[in-house]
Amino acid sequence: MTDKDNSGEWSAELDELDRRRELALRMGGEQALEKMRSKGRMNARERIGVLLDAGSFRELGRITGRGKYDDNGDLVDLEPVNAIIGTGRIDARKVAVSADDFSVAAGSSEGTISDKWIYIERLALAHRMPLVRLVDSAGGSVRLIRQMDTTKIPGYDHWNSTDLVDHVPVVGIGLGSCAGLGAIKVLASNFSVMVRDQAQVFAAGPPVVKQAYGVDITKEELGGAKLHRKSALVHNEAEDERDAFDQARRFLSYMPRNAWRLPEVIECDDDRERADDWLAHAVPHDKRKVYDPRPILRSVFDRDSVFEIGAKQGRSIITALARLDGVSVGVLAGDPRSAGAAMTSTSAYKMERHIRLCSTFGLPIIHFVDQPGNATGLEAERAGTLLGALRVGEAVERARVPWISIIVRRVFGMAGAMHAPRVFPALNYTFAWPSARWGSIPIEGGVAAAHRQEIAEAADPDARREELEAWYHKLGSPFRTAERFGVVDIIDPRETRSVLCDWVEDAREVLVTDRGVC
Amino acid sequence: MKIETESSGVVWKVLKQAGDTVEADESILLLELMKMEIPVVAPRAGRIERVLVDEGDMVEEDQVVAILADD
Repeated sequence: MTDKDNSGEWSAELDELDRRRELALRMGGEQALEKMRSKGRMNARERIGVLLDAGSFRELGRITGRGKYDDNGDLVDLEPVNAIIGTGRIDARKVAVSADDFSVAAGSSEGTISDKWIYIERLALAHRMPLVRLVDSAGGSVRLIRQMDTTKIPGYDHWNSTDLVDHVPVVGIGLGSCAGLGAIKVLASNFSVMVRDQAQVFAAGPPVVKQAYGVDITKEELGGAKLHRKSALVHNEAEDERDAFDQARRFLSYMPRNAWRLPEVIECDDDRERADDWLAHAVPHDKRKVYDPRPILRSVFDRDSVFEIGAKQGRSIITALARLDGVSVGVLAGDPRSAGAAMTSTSAYKMERHIRLCSTFGLPIIHFVDQPGNATGLEAERAGTLLGALRVGEAVERARVPWISIIVRRVFGMAGAMHAPRVFPALNYTFAWPSARWGSIPIEGGVAAAHRQEIAEAADPDARREELEAWYHKLGSPFRTAERFGVVDIIDPRETRSVLCDWVEDAREVLVTDRGVC
Repeated sequence: MKIETESSGVVWKVLKQAGDTVEADESILLLELMKMEIPVVAPRAGRIERVLVDEGDMVEEDQVVAILADD
Protein backbone atom coordinates (compact mmCIF):
# COMPACT_ATOMS: atom_id res chain seq x y z
CA MET A 1 0.00 0.00 0.00
CA THR A 2 1.45 3.39 -0.93
CA ASP A 3 0.62 6.89 0.39
CA LYS A 4 -1.25 5.61 3.42
CA ASP A 5 -3.33 7.98 5.52
CA ASN A 6 -4.30 6.57 8.92
CA SER A 7 -6.51 9.50 10.03
CA GLY A 8 -9.96 8.53 11.30
CA GLU A 9 -11.53 6.56 14.15
CA TRP A 10 -8.99 3.76 13.96
CA SER A 11 -5.90 5.88 13.54
CA ALA A 12 -4.40 4.79 16.88
CA GLU A 13 -4.72 1.12 16.05
CA LEU A 14 -3.50 1.58 12.48
CA ASP A 15 -0.53 3.55 13.82
CA GLU A 16 0.15 0.75 16.30
CA LEU A 17 0.08 -1.80 13.47
CA ASP A 18 2.59 0.26 11.51
CA ARG A 19 4.77 0.65 14.59
CA ARG A 20 4.77 -3.06 15.40
CA ARG A 21 5.70 -3.85 11.81
CA GLU A 22 8.60 -1.39 12.01
CA LEU A 23 9.84 -2.83 15.29
CA ALA A 24 9.90 -6.34 13.83
CA LEU A 25 12.20 -5.16 11.02
CA ARG A 26 14.98 -4.47 13.54
CA MET A 27 15.32 -8.24 13.98
CA GLY A 28 17.83 -9.01 16.79
CA GLY A 29 19.12 -5.45 17.00
CA GLU A 30 22.01 -3.55 15.46
CA GLN A 31 24.72 -5.26 17.51
CA ALA A 32 23.68 -8.77 16.53
CA LEU A 33 23.23 -7.74 12.90
CA GLU A 34 26.66 -6.10 12.84
CA LYS A 35 28.19 -9.31 14.18
CA MET A 36 26.70 -11.26 11.28
CA ARG A 37 27.83 -8.59 8.81
CA SER A 38 31.38 -8.69 10.16
CA LYS A 39 31.48 -12.43 9.41
CA GLY A 40 30.43 -11.79 5.83
CA ARG A 41 26.93 -13.16 6.36
CA MET A 42 23.66 -11.69 5.13
CA ASN A 43 20.85 -11.37 7.65
CA ALA A 44 17.57 -13.26 7.20
CA ARG A 45 15.70 -10.41 5.49
CA GLU A 46 18.58 -9.67 3.14
CA ARG A 47 18.72 -13.35 2.25
CA ILE A 48 15.00 -13.45 1.46
CA GLY A 49 15.49 -10.32 -0.66
CA VAL A 50 18.23 -11.99 -2.73
CA LEU A 51 16.45 -15.34 -3.05
CA LEU A 52 13.10 -13.97 -4.24
CA ASP A 53 12.12 -11.79 -7.18
CA ALA A 54 12.48 -8.15 -6.10
CA GLY A 55 9.56 -6.88 -4.05
CA SER A 56 7.66 -10.16 -4.19
CA PHE A 57 7.90 -11.16 -0.51
CA ARG A 58 4.54 -11.29 1.28
CA GLU A 59 5.41 -11.80 4.92
CA LEU A 60 3.06 -13.61 7.26
CA GLY A 61 3.00 -13.11 11.02
CA ARG A 62 5.55 -10.30 10.97
CA ILE A 63 4.39 -8.97 14.32
CA THR A 64 4.97 -12.17 16.29
CA GLY A 65 7.34 -11.65 19.18
CA ARG A 66 7.64 -10.69 22.85
CA GLY A 67 5.96 -7.39 23.54
CA LYS A 68 7.20 -5.12 26.37
CA TYR A 69 4.59 -2.90 27.97
CA ASP A 70 4.59 0.09 30.30
CA ASP A 71 2.49 0.43 33.44
CA ASN A 72 -0.43 1.66 31.33
CA GLY A 73 -0.35 -1.51 29.29
CA ASP A 74 0.94 0.30 26.21
CA LEU A 75 3.54 -1.18 23.93
CA VAL A 76 7.06 -0.02 24.58
CA ASP A 77 9.06 -2.50 22.52
CA LEU A 78 8.67 -5.70 20.48
CA GLU A 79 11.35 -8.38 20.30
CA PRO A 80 10.59 -10.42 17.18
CA VAL A 81 10.81 -14.21 17.07
CA ASN A 82 13.51 -15.73 14.89
CA ALA A 83 11.16 -17.41 12.40
CA ILE A 84 10.42 -15.27 9.37
CA ILE A 85 7.84 -16.78 7.01
CA GLY A 86 5.83 -15.85 3.97
CA THR A 87 5.36 -16.39 0.26
CA GLY A 88 7.00 -14.79 -2.73
CA ARG A 89 8.04 -15.49 -6.29
CA ILE A 90 11.08 -17.03 -7.91
CA ASP A 91 11.20 -16.33 -11.66
CA ALA A 92 7.57 -15.22 -11.30
CA ARG A 93 6.52 -18.58 -9.80
CA LYS A 94 4.97 -18.72 -6.34
CA VAL A 95 7.01 -20.24 -3.48
CA ALA A 96 6.81 -20.39 0.31
CA VAL A 97 9.81 -19.28 2.35
CA SER A 98 10.89 -20.07 5.87
CA ALA A 99 13.98 -18.29 7.21
CA ASP A 100 15.81 -18.57 10.53
CA ASP A 101 16.80 -15.18 11.88
CA PHE A 102 20.19 -15.91 13.44
CA SER A 103 20.33 -12.43 14.98
CA VAL A 104 17.63 -13.48 17.46
CA ALA A 105 18.85 -16.11 19.95
CA ALA A 106 21.16 -17.59 17.29
CA GLY A 107 18.10 -18.91 15.47
CA SER A 108 17.54 -21.44 18.23
CA SER A 109 14.33 -22.93 19.54
CA GLU A 110 14.19 -20.61 22.59
CA GLY A 111 13.65 -17.65 20.27
CA THR A 112 10.96 -19.08 18.04
CA ILE A 113 7.31 -19.96 17.99
CA SER A 114 7.20 -23.44 16.52
CA ASP A 115 3.57 -22.99 15.42
CA LYS A 116 4.79 -20.22 13.15
CA TRP A 117 7.48 -22.06 11.19
CA ILE A 118 5.36 -25.20 11.07
CA TYR A 119 2.52 -23.09 9.65
CA ILE A 120 4.45 -22.12 6.50
CA GLU A 121 5.31 -25.79 5.96
CA ARG A 122 1.61 -26.67 6.21
CA LEU A 123 0.75 -23.76 3.92
CA ALA A 124 3.21 -24.89 1.25
CA LEU A 125 1.51 -28.27 1.14
CA ALA A 126 -2.08 -26.98 1.48
CA HIS A 127 -1.59 -24.35 -1.26
CA ARG A 128 0.57 -26.73 -3.28
CA MET A 129 3.68 -24.64 -3.82
CA PRO A 130 7.44 -25.18 -3.38
CA LEU A 131 9.05 -24.45 -0.02
CA VAL A 132 12.51 -23.00 0.49
CA ARG A 133 14.05 -23.21 3.97
CA LEU A 134 16.90 -20.79 4.79
CA VAL A 135 18.41 -22.66 7.72
CA ASP A 136 20.67 -20.86 10.15
CA SER A 137 19.80 -22.24 13.53
CA ALA A 138 21.73 -23.37 16.55
CA GLY A 139 18.91 -25.91 17.05
CA GLY A 140 17.44 -26.86 20.41
CA SER A 141 18.38 -25.00 23.54
CA VAL A 142 18.15 -26.15 27.15
CA ARG A 143 17.07 -22.61 28.03
CA LEU A 144 13.73 -23.51 26.50
CA ILE A 145 13.13 -25.91 29.40
CA ARG A 146 13.39 -23.01 31.83
CA GLN A 147 11.15 -20.88 29.65
CA MET A 148 8.47 -23.56 29.46
CA ASP A 149 9.02 -24.79 33.02
CA THR A 150 8.90 -28.37 31.69
CA THR A 151 10.49 -30.73 29.22
CA LYS A 152 8.62 -32.23 26.29
CA ILE A 153 8.88 -35.34 24.16
CA PRO A 154 10.83 -34.23 21.08
CA GLY A 155 9.09 -33.80 17.75
CA TYR A 156 6.27 -31.81 16.27
CA ASP A 157 2.93 -33.49 15.73
CA HIS A 158 1.85 -30.98 13.09
CA TRP A 159 5.01 -30.98 11.02
CA ASN A 160 4.27 -32.99 7.89
CA SER A 161 7.75 -33.00 6.40
CA THR A 162 7.27 -36.41 4.74
CA ASP A 163 4.08 -35.37 2.95
CA LEU A 164 5.85 -32.23 1.82
CA VAL A 165 8.74 -33.87 -0.01
CA ASP A 166 6.34 -36.28 -1.72
CA HIS A 167 4.13 -33.49 -3.09
CA VAL A 168 5.95 -30.17 -3.43
CA PRO A 169 9.58 -29.34 -4.27
CA VAL A 170 11.35 -28.60 -0.99
CA VAL A 171 14.77 -26.93 -0.91
CA GLY A 172 16.93 -26.87 2.22
CA ILE A 173 19.75 -24.27 2.32
CA GLY A 174 22.40 -24.60 5.05
CA LEU A 175 23.75 -21.16 5.93
CA GLY A 176 25.33 -21.72 9.35
CA SER A 177 25.76 -24.47 11.91
CA CYS A 178 22.70 -26.66 11.43
CA ALA A 179 22.40 -29.19 14.24
CA GLY A 180 19.51 -31.45 15.21
CA LEU A 181 16.29 -29.83 14.03
CA GLY A 182 18.36 -27.46 11.88
CA ALA A 183 20.03 -30.41 10.16
CA ILE A 184 16.69 -32.08 9.54
CA LYS A 185 15.32 -28.86 8.03
CA VAL A 186 18.16 -28.92 5.52
CA LEU A 187 17.99 -32.64 4.79
CA ALA A 188 14.22 -33.32 4.73
CA SER A 189 14.12 -31.84 1.26
CA ASN A 190 14.26 -32.74 -2.43
CA PHE A 191 17.37 -30.64 -2.93
CA SER A 192 19.81 -29.33 -0.36
CA VAL A 193 22.78 -27.00 -0.64
CA MET A 194 25.25 -25.77 1.97
CA VAL A 195 27.71 -22.87 1.91
CA ARG A 196 31.30 -24.11 1.92
CA ASP A 197 33.41 -22.96 4.90
CA GLN A 198 30.35 -21.38 6.51
CA ALA A 199 27.67 -24.04 7.00
CA GLN A 200 27.81 -27.35 8.80
CA VAL A 201 25.19 -30.05 9.05
CA PHE A 202 25.39 -32.61 11.84
CA ALA A 203 23.30 -34.46 14.40
CA ALA A 204 25.08 -32.56 17.16
CA GLY A 205 27.95 -30.11 17.29
CA PRO A 206 31.45 -30.28 18.84
CA PRO A 207 30.44 -29.50 22.46
CA VAL A 208 28.00 -32.42 22.56
CA VAL A 209 30.54 -34.72 20.86
CA LYS A 210 33.18 -33.66 23.36
CA GLN A 211 30.80 -34.36 26.23
CA ALA A 212 29.84 -37.78 24.85
CA TYR A 213 33.16 -39.07 23.53
CA GLY A 214 35.83 -36.83 25.00
CA VAL A 215 36.89 -36.06 21.43
CA ASP A 216 38.01 -32.63 20.23
CA ILE A 217 36.80 -31.96 16.72
CA THR A 218 36.03 -28.79 14.80
CA LYS A 219 32.64 -27.89 13.33
CA GLU A 220 34.08 -28.17 9.82
CA GLU A 221 35.56 -31.62 10.40
CA LEU A 222 32.32 -32.89 11.95
CA GLY A 223 29.82 -31.59 9.41
CA GLY A 224 31.35 -29.32 6.78
CA ALA A 225 30.92 -29.52 3.02
CA LYS A 226 33.94 -31.82 2.63
CA LEU A 227 32.48 -34.40 5.00
CA HIS A 228 29.21 -34.40 3.13
CA ARG A 229 30.96 -35.37 -0.09
CA LYS A 230 31.35 -38.72 1.67
CA SER A 231 28.00 -38.90 3.44
CA ALA A 232 26.10 -37.68 0.36
CA LEU A 233 23.50 -36.19 2.69
CA VAL A 234 23.67 -32.62 1.39
CA HIS A 235 23.36 -32.60 -2.40
CA ASN A 236 25.38 -29.54 -3.37
CA GLU A 237 27.98 -27.12 -2.12
CA ALA A 238 27.93 -23.38 -2.72
CA GLU A 239 30.82 -20.93 -2.86
CA ASP A 240 28.88 -18.32 -0.92
CA GLU A 241 25.32 -17.38 0.03
CA ARG A 242 24.45 -15.88 -3.34
CA ASP A 243 25.63 -19.03 -5.10
CA ALA A 244 23.43 -21.10 -2.76
CA PHE A 245 20.38 -19.00 -3.67
CA ASP A 246 21.24 -19.20 -7.38
CA GLN A 247 21.37 -22.97 -7.13
CA ALA A 248 18.03 -23.09 -5.30
CA ARG A 249 16.48 -20.94 -8.02
CA ARG A 250 18.03 -23.06 -10.74
CA PHE A 251 16.80 -26.30 -9.19
CA LEU A 252 13.26 -24.96 -8.91
CA SER A 253 13.28 -23.90 -12.57
CA TYR A 254 13.19 -27.59 -13.58
CA MET A 255 10.41 -28.46 -11.15
CA PRO A 256 6.64 -28.13 -11.41
CA ARG A 257 4.79 -26.09 -8.80
CA ASN A 258 3.73 -29.38 -7.19
CA ALA A 259 3.60 -33.12 -7.92
CA TRP A 260 0.09 -32.87 -9.28
CA ARG A 261 1.47 -30.87 -12.21
CA LEU A 262 4.29 -31.43 -14.67
CA PRO A 263 7.22 -29.05 -15.17
CA GLU A 264 6.58 -26.22 -17.59
CA VAL A 265 7.88 -26.72 -21.13
CA ILE A 266 9.95 -23.67 -22.00
CA GLU A 267 10.68 -22.05 -25.36
CA CYS A 268 13.64 -23.71 -27.05
CA ASP A 269 15.57 -22.49 -30.09
CA ASP A 270 18.17 -25.27 -29.93
CA ASP A 271 17.76 -27.49 -33.01
CA ARG A 272 16.41 -30.97 -32.21
CA GLU A 273 18.64 -32.35 -34.95
CA ARG A 274 21.84 -30.67 -33.77
CA ALA A 275 24.68 -33.20 -34.15
CA ASP A 276 28.14 -32.28 -32.90
CA ASP A 277 30.71 -34.11 -35.01
CA TRP A 278 33.20 -34.86 -32.25
CA LEU A 279 30.64 -37.12 -30.52
CA ALA A 280 31.46 -39.86 -33.04
CA HIS A 281 34.88 -40.29 -31.39
CA ALA A 282 34.09 -39.10 -27.86
CA VAL A 283 34.63 -42.53 -26.32
CA PRO A 284 38.27 -43.70 -26.67
CA HIS A 285 38.72 -46.75 -28.90
CA ASP A 286 41.23 -48.16 -26.40
CA LYS A 287 38.87 -49.71 -23.88
CA ARG A 288 41.22 -49.03 -20.97
CA LYS A 289 41.14 -45.28 -21.51
CA VAL A 290 38.61 -43.14 -19.67
CA TYR A 291 36.62 -40.16 -20.96
CA ASP A 292 34.68 -37.33 -19.31
CA PRO A 293 30.92 -37.77 -19.84
CA ARG A 294 30.11 -34.12 -19.04
CA PRO A 295 30.97 -32.66 -22.47
CA ILE A 296 28.81 -35.40 -24.02
CA LEU A 297 25.88 -34.38 -21.82
CA ARG A 298 26.38 -30.68 -22.61
CA SER A 299 26.35 -31.56 -26.29
CA VAL A 300 23.19 -33.68 -26.48
CA PHE A 301 20.95 -31.75 -24.08
CA ASP A 302 19.63 -28.23 -24.77
CA ARG A 303 22.49 -25.73 -24.66
CA ASP A 304 23.33 -24.55 -21.11
CA SER A 305 20.56 -26.68 -19.63
CA VAL A 306 22.58 -29.24 -17.64
CA PHE A 307 22.45 -28.65 -13.85
CA GLU A 308 24.52 -31.19 -11.97
CA ILE A 309 23.47 -32.45 -8.53
CA GLY A 310 25.91 -34.12 -6.13
CA ALA A 311 28.98 -33.61 -8.32
CA LYS A 312 31.45 -34.37 -5.54
CA GLN A 313 29.65 -37.39 -4.09
CA GLY A 314 29.34 -40.97 -5.32
CA ARG A 315 31.31 -39.84 -8.34
CA SER A 316 30.94 -43.07 -10.31
CA ILE A 317 27.56 -41.73 -11.38
CA ILE A 318 26.67 -38.24 -12.59
CA THR A 319 23.15 -37.07 -11.72
CA ALA A 320 21.73 -33.95 -13.28
CA LEU A 321 18.66 -32.06 -14.40
CA ALA A 322 18.55 -30.87 -17.99
CA ARG A 323 16.19 -30.06 -20.85
CA LEU A 324 15.39 -31.59 -24.19
CA ASP A 325 13.47 -29.36 -26.57
CA GLY A 326 12.43 -27.31 -23.52
CA VAL A 327 11.19 -30.32 -21.50
CA SER A 328 12.70 -30.85 -18.03
CA VAL A 329 14.38 -34.25 -17.75
CA GLY A 330 16.52 -36.20 -15.32
CA VAL A 331 19.95 -37.45 -16.33
CA LEU A 332 22.12 -40.33 -15.13
CA ALA A 333 25.57 -41.02 -16.59
CA GLY A 334 28.33 -43.39 -15.51
CA ASP A 335 31.69 -41.64 -15.02
CA PRO A 336 34.60 -44.00 -15.63
CA ARG A 337 37.06 -41.47 -14.18
CA SER A 338 35.84 -42.47 -10.74
CA ALA A 339 36.37 -46.10 -9.77
CA GLY A 340 35.95 -46.99 -13.44
CA ALA A 341 32.24 -46.09 -12.99
CA ALA A 342 31.75 -49.08 -10.68
CA MET A 343 28.66 -48.87 -8.49
CA THR A 344 29.59 -48.08 -4.88
CA SER A 345 27.22 -47.80 -1.94
CA THR A 346 27.35 -43.99 -2.19
CA SER A 347 26.86 -43.85 -5.96
CA ALA A 348 23.95 -46.26 -5.60
CA TYR A 349 22.32 -44.01 -3.01
CA LYS A 350 22.90 -40.95 -5.21
CA MET A 351 21.32 -42.72 -8.18
CA GLU A 352 18.36 -43.92 -6.13
CA ARG A 353 17.57 -40.47 -4.71
CA HIS A 354 17.74 -38.93 -8.19
CA ILE A 355 15.36 -41.50 -9.65
CA ARG A 356 12.91 -40.83 -6.79
CA LEU A 357 13.14 -37.06 -7.36
CA CYS A 358 12.45 -37.37 -11.09
CA SER A 359 9.68 -39.88 -10.52
CA THR A 360 7.93 -37.67 -7.96
CA PHE A 361 7.94 -34.55 -10.12
CA GLY A 362 7.39 -36.02 -13.58
CA LEU A 363 10.82 -35.72 -15.19
CA PRO A 364 11.51 -38.45 -17.77
CA ILE A 365 14.88 -40.12 -17.24
CA ILE A 366 17.80 -40.55 -19.64
CA HIS A 367 20.59 -42.91 -18.60
CA PHE A 368 23.95 -42.76 -20.39
CA VAL A 369 25.06 -46.21 -19.35
CA ASP A 370 28.67 -47.02 -18.51
CA GLN A 371 28.53 -49.59 -15.75
CA PRO A 372 31.23 -52.22 -15.22
CA GLY A 373 29.44 -53.70 -12.21
CA ASN A 374 29.37 -53.35 -8.44
CA ALA A 375 32.60 -52.44 -6.67
CA THR A 376 34.14 -55.62 -5.28
CA GLY A 377 36.53 -56.47 -2.49
CA LEU A 378 36.44 -56.41 1.28
CA GLU A 379 35.87 -52.68 1.76
CA ALA A 380 33.01 -52.71 -0.74
CA GLU A 381 31.37 -55.68 0.96
CA ARG A 382 31.74 -54.07 4.39
CA ALA A 383 30.11 -50.93 3.03
CA GLY A 384 27.09 -52.99 2.04
CA THR A 385 27.52 -52.16 -1.62
CA LEU A 386 24.95 -54.75 -2.69
CA LEU A 387 22.28 -53.19 -0.49
CA GLY A 388 22.74 -49.99 -2.48
CA ALA A 389 22.42 -51.97 -5.69
CA LEU A 390 19.21 -53.64 -4.50
CA ARG A 391 17.69 -50.30 -3.59
CA VAL A 392 18.65 -48.84 -6.96
CA GLY A 393 17.10 -51.84 -8.69
CA GLU A 394 13.86 -51.26 -6.79
CA ALA A 395 13.91 -47.53 -7.48
CA VAL A 396 14.41 -48.18 -11.19
CA GLU A 397 11.49 -50.60 -11.42
CA ARG A 398 9.26 -48.29 -9.34
CA ALA A 399 10.04 -45.20 -11.44
CA ARG A 400 6.79 -43.62 -12.59
CA VAL A 401 8.33 -41.80 -15.54
CA PRO A 402 9.35 -42.88 -19.05
CA TRP A 403 12.95 -43.99 -19.36
CA ILE A 404 15.51 -44.25 -22.17
CA SER A 405 18.97 -45.79 -21.91
CA ILE A 406 21.83 -44.93 -24.24
CA ILE A 407 24.57 -47.49 -23.72
CA VAL A 408 27.79 -45.63 -24.23
CA ARG A 409 30.28 -48.20 -23.07
CA ARG A 410 30.13 -51.02 -20.52
CA VAL A 411 27.08 -52.84 -19.16
CA PHE A 412 28.11 -55.72 -16.92
CA GLY A 413 26.87 -57.61 -13.94
CA MET A 414 23.88 -57.04 -11.70
CA ALA A 415 24.60 -53.30 -11.59
CA GLY A 416 24.56 -53.25 -15.40
CA ALA A 417 21.31 -55.23 -15.45
CA MET A 418 19.50 -52.46 -13.61
CA HIS A 419 20.28 -49.75 -16.15
CA ALA A 420 16.57 -49.28 -16.95
CA PRO A 421 13.19 -50.70 -15.96
CA ARG A 422 13.21 -54.15 -17.55
CA VAL A 423 10.30 -56.08 -16.20
CA PHE A 424 7.47 -56.53 -18.70
CA PRO A 425 5.45 -54.49 -19.63
CA ALA A 426 8.24 -51.87 -19.31
CA LEU A 427 9.25 -50.90 -22.85
CA ASN A 428 13.03 -51.06 -22.18
CA TYR A 429 13.73 -48.38 -24.79
CA THR A 430 17.48 -48.94 -25.09
CA PHE A 431 19.95 -47.78 -27.71
CA ALA A 432 23.70 -48.37 -27.94
CA TRP A 433 26.68 -46.63 -29.43
CA PRO A 434 29.17 -48.76 -31.40
CA SER A 435 31.49 -48.43 -28.37
CA ALA A 436 29.04 -50.43 -26.23
CA ARG A 437 30.14 -53.72 -24.69
CA TRP A 438 28.03 -55.95 -22.47
CA GLY A 439 27.88 -59.31 -20.74
CA SER A 440 27.19 -61.00 -17.44
CA ILE A 441 30.83 -61.10 -16.47
CA PRO A 442 33.90 -59.44 -17.96
CA ILE A 443 35.51 -61.50 -20.68
CA GLU A 444 38.99 -61.52 -19.13
CA GLY A 445 37.87 -63.00 -15.81
CA GLY A 446 35.42 -65.30 -17.56
CA VAL A 447 38.03 -66.77 -19.92
CA ALA A 448 40.53 -67.31 -17.11
CA ALA A 449 37.86 -69.24 -15.19
CA ALA A 450 36.20 -71.23 -17.96
CA HIS A 451 39.37 -72.18 -19.88
CA ARG A 452 41.69 -72.54 -16.90
CA GLN A 453 42.89 -76.03 -17.73
CA GLU A 454 43.35 -75.37 -21.45
CA ILE A 455 45.38 -72.23 -20.72
CA ALA A 456 47.52 -73.96 -18.10
CA GLU A 457 48.32 -76.84 -20.45
CA ALA A 458 49.15 -74.60 -23.46
CA ALA A 459 52.75 -74.23 -24.65
CA ASP A 460 52.48 -70.45 -24.13
CA PRO A 461 49.69 -69.89 -21.59
CA ASP A 462 49.66 -66.07 -21.93
CA ALA A 463 49.44 -66.25 -25.71
CA ARG A 464 46.63 -68.84 -25.56
CA ARG A 465 44.70 -66.76 -23.03
CA GLU A 466 45.02 -63.67 -25.24
CA GLU A 467 43.91 -65.68 -28.26
CA LEU A 468 40.80 -66.88 -26.45
CA GLU A 469 40.02 -63.40 -25.13
CA ALA A 470 40.34 -61.91 -28.63
CA TRP A 471 37.89 -64.49 -29.99
CA TYR A 472 35.34 -63.80 -27.23
CA HIS A 473 35.74 -60.07 -27.82
CA LYS A 474 34.73 -60.58 -31.45
CA LEU A 475 31.61 -62.38 -30.21
CA GLY A 476 31.04 -59.45 -27.87
CA SER A 477 30.53 -56.96 -30.69
CA PRO A 478 27.27 -55.08 -30.10
CA PHE A 479 26.37 -55.61 -33.77
CA ARG A 480 25.87 -59.33 -33.11
CA THR A 481 23.44 -58.52 -30.29
CA ALA A 482 21.64 -56.10 -32.61
CA GLU A 483 21.22 -58.88 -35.21
CA ARG A 484 19.02 -60.68 -32.68
CA PHE A 485 17.16 -57.51 -31.61
CA GLY A 486 18.86 -57.77 -28.23
CA VAL A 487 18.91 -53.96 -28.22
CA VAL A 488 16.43 -51.63 -29.99
CA ASP A 489 19.16 -50.15 -32.19
CA ILE A 490 22.80 -49.24 -32.53
CA ILE A 491 23.10 -45.54 -33.35
CA ASP A 492 25.79 -43.21 -34.52
CA PRO A 493 26.66 -41.10 -31.44
CA ARG A 494 25.93 -37.98 -33.48
CA GLU A 495 22.29 -39.13 -33.79
CA THR A 496 21.81 -39.12 -30.02
CA ARG A 497 20.19 -35.69 -29.62
CA SER A 498 17.80 -36.44 -32.46
CA VAL A 499 16.78 -39.76 -30.89
CA LEU A 500 16.33 -38.14 -27.46
CA CYS A 501 14.29 -35.18 -28.72
CA ASP A 502 12.02 -37.51 -30.65
CA TRP A 503 11.53 -39.66 -27.56
CA VAL A 504 10.88 -36.78 -25.16
CA GLU A 505 7.78 -35.81 -27.13
CA ASP A 506 6.40 -39.30 -26.48
CA ALA A 507 7.58 -39.27 -22.85
CA ARG A 508 5.63 -36.06 -22.35
CA GLU A 509 2.53 -37.60 -23.91
CA VAL A 510 2.77 -40.55 -21.50
CA LEU A 511 3.10 -38.25 -18.48
CA VAL A 512 0.28 -35.94 -19.53
CA THR A 513 -2.16 -38.75 -20.20
CA ASP A 514 -1.01 -40.77 -17.17
CA ARG A 515 -1.35 -37.99 -14.65
CA GLY A 516 -4.24 -36.19 -16.32
CA VAL A 517 -2.43 -32.86 -16.05
CA CYS A 518 -0.88 -30.18 -18.20
CA MET B 1 49.24 -27.08 -4.01
CA LYS B 2 47.94 -30.54 -3.09
CA ILE B 3 47.01 -32.89 -5.92
CA GLU B 4 44.16 -35.13 -4.83
CA THR B 5 42.77 -38.19 -6.58
CA GLU B 6 39.21 -38.07 -7.91
CA SER B 7 39.01 -41.84 -7.71
CA SER B 8 40.16 -44.74 -5.61
CA GLY B 9 42.41 -47.33 -7.25
CA VAL B 10 45.87 -48.86 -7.40
CA VAL B 11 48.79 -46.71 -8.53
CA TRP B 12 49.71 -48.33 -11.83
CA LYS B 13 52.30 -45.93 -13.27
CA VAL B 14 54.05 -42.94 -11.75
CA LEU B 15 54.81 -40.71 -14.74
CA LYS B 16 56.43 -37.71 -13.06
CA GLN B 17 59.08 -37.33 -10.37
CA ALA B 18 60.00 -34.52 -8.00
CA GLY B 19 61.52 -31.69 -10.01
CA ASP B 20 59.66 -32.48 -13.25
CA THR B 21 57.52 -29.78 -14.83
CA VAL B 22 53.95 -30.44 -15.95
CA GLU B 23 51.47 -28.71 -18.22
CA ALA B 24 47.86 -28.12 -17.18
CA ASP B 25 45.86 -31.37 -17.53
CA GLU B 26 49.02 -33.43 -18.00
CA SER B 27 48.99 -36.79 -16.25
CA ILE B 28 51.15 -37.12 -13.15
CA LEU B 29 50.27 -40.73 -12.50
CA LEU B 30 47.86 -43.42 -13.66
CA LEU B 31 45.57 -45.39 -11.37
CA GLU B 32 44.03 -48.68 -12.33
CA LEU B 33 40.58 -49.83 -11.26
CA MET B 34 37.93 -52.03 -12.89
CA LYS B 35 40.35 -52.51 -15.81
CA MET B 36 40.46 -48.78 -16.54
CA GLU B 37 43.48 -46.48 -16.57
CA ILE B 38 42.46 -43.43 -14.59
CA PRO B 39 44.81 -40.46 -14.90
CA VAL B 40 45.54 -38.07 -12.04
CA VAL B 41 46.27 -34.80 -13.78
CA ALA B 42 47.84 -31.47 -12.86
CA PRO B 43 45.17 -28.77 -12.46
CA ARG B 44 47.63 -26.14 -13.69
CA ALA B 45 51.14 -25.96 -15.15
CA GLY B 46 53.97 -26.08 -12.64
CA ARG B 47 56.78 -28.02 -11.04
CA ILE B 48 56.28 -31.24 -9.08
CA GLU B 49 57.62 -30.75 -5.57
CA ARG B 50 56.90 -34.28 -4.31
CA VAL B 51 55.19 -37.50 -5.34
CA LEU B 52 53.73 -39.19 -2.26
CA VAL B 53 52.90 -42.66 -3.62
CA ASP B 54 54.66 -45.57 -5.28
CA GLU B 55 53.52 -47.95 -7.99
CA GLY B 56 51.37 -50.66 -6.42
CA ASP B 57 50.01 -48.47 -3.60
CA MET B 58 46.21 -48.51 -2.98
CA VAL B 59 44.80 -45.00 -2.87
CA GLU B 60 41.43 -43.64 -1.79
CA GLU B 61 39.29 -40.93 -3.33
CA ASP B 62 40.52 -37.43 -2.33
CA GLN B 63 43.88 -38.77 -1.19
CA VAL B 64 46.78 -36.35 -1.66
CA VAL B 65 49.20 -38.08 -4.05
CA ALA B 66 51.51 -35.25 -5.10
CA ILE B 67 52.44 -31.68 -4.28
CA LEU B 68 52.73 -29.01 -6.96
CA ALA B 69 55.19 -26.24 -6.07
CA ASP B 70 53.51 -22.94 -5.20
CA ASP B 71 55.96 -20.77 -7.14
